[in-house]
Amino acid sequence: MEDFEPNIIGFLCNWCSYAGADLAGTSRIQYSHNVKIIRVMCSGRVNPMFVINALQQGADGVLIGGCHPGDCHYQHGNYLARRRISVMKKLLEFMGINPERIKMTWVSAAEGRKFAEVVDEVTAEIRKLGPNTKIRRKNEW
Amino acid sequence: MVDQKMLVEVAKETLAREDVKYIIGYKKGSYGFQTSAAFAYTPKDVEEFIFTPLCNKNLAKYPLKEEKLPLKRGEEEDKRKIGLVVKGCDSRAIVQIIQENGMKREDVVLIGIPCPGVINQKEIEKRFPNQSEITDINEINDEYVFTVEGKEHKIPKQELLAEVCKTCEYPNPVLYDVMIGEEVEVNPKAEYEGIKDLEEAPLENRWEYWEEQFQRCIRCYACREACPLCYCSTCMADLLEPQWIRRSVNLSENTAWNIMRAFHLAGRCISCGACENACPMDIPLMELNKKLGKEVKEMFEYTPGLDIDAKPLLGSFNPDDPEEFIK
Repeated sequence: MEDFEPNIIGFLCNWCSYAGADLAGTSRIQYSHNVKIIRVMCSGRVNPMFVINALQQGADGVLIGGCHPGDCHYQHGNYLARRRISVMKKLLEFMGINPERIKMTWVSAAEGRKFAEVVDEVTAEIRKLGPNTKIRRKNEW
Repeated sequence: MVDQKMLVEVAKETLAREDVKYIIGYKKGSYGFQTSAAFAYTPKDVEEFIFTPLCNKNLAKYPLKEEKLPLKRGEEEDKRKIGLVVKGCDSRAIVQIIQENGMKREDVVLIGIPCPGVINQKEIEKRFPNQSEITDINEINDEYVFTVEGKEHKIPKQELLAEVCKTCEYPNPVLYDVMIGEEVEVNPKAEYEGIKDLEEAPLENRWEYWEEQFQRCIRCYACREACPLCYCSTCMADLLEPQWIRRSVNLSENTAWNIMRAFHLAGRCISCGACENACPMDIPLMELNKKLGKEVKEMFEYTPGLDIDAKPLLGSFNPDDPEEFIK
């Protein structure tokens, strides 16, 4: 699996994690290129079906980034996201789909360095898990 | 056993109330071991109400699915209540629906029945297949007594009891206006025994198990239609824009559908077993629901369907929720 480059979808919240990723870029910090970022207005916007759809459409992992607890721009969106994702992870685990493919992180707008570290870490972990084959959609007709 | 006469009497009394439109209860089915929902508008309709161990359907969905035609000019909306015969699990479904503002407490009149447990429809139909005659089942001293093709059968209750009833924590209605008979004794047992083996199996074996199950799914959505808590006016599965799951029946989409269904019931499922009972392909859907119920109980100390003033699980939060998985 050494040459396997994982495909990771990152749902980052507009106010913290996305700005954090922006800072990582403007500070010219080098980090893995595997995370494809989708900006959402809040981590609470991430419907758990987004995650399932990403896994279906070929993602090997999903990273959800939100503000630190208490810092949410919409007061408590990240708390709600946390509950949803923790329940979803339990469900996937029970179904035999590795819950480690779903990652969640709190990154503030000032934490460009942390964002780069988290992405590197997540990429390394997903690389170890190998490609996702379980619920991947096969386009055949 | 539930007193049939008392049920009819109470239903009649309720129907006589000025603010009650009609009553939904159970009546004999048209064949075999079936019962069906009865809609009683007149005292004569009420006469056919029954409650036997075969009444395993959940009636809580009917008030929500009532067709509301547009009003003619000058016509006023019929704001009278709907009567409903509820078992323990049905009443919890009603509580959950009220909690989510799906209906109002004053919209329904509940006739509570302390439920001694209902029959596993699939099991009895497997033992006595293709019965066309209407069969009555009586529960006498922990045995089900019934006559099939002129021969009397006595089968121990535990053999035919529905899986969900074996571990039922709330056989008595939690919300009711009139209660029929005495409360039954609660038989506390380890509720999550059934999923223990699967929980302890390695990840790959679990996937093999569910792969086999989901492969059989024909996506008829009977589980959704039977579930008292799947009452969204437009289901995500039916949407085309955005299309959350594709219509094609294959493993990927079937898994996505089953994840979606189970997740939507996280912290809401009241374990009535209607989905599993309705599934034509015998997929063990209650295992998913039970697992989520267990996790929700452990992680958030939350039990759905008990308090109409509680907040929905996924619509509320606690700053101290577990977050060891977050980096």
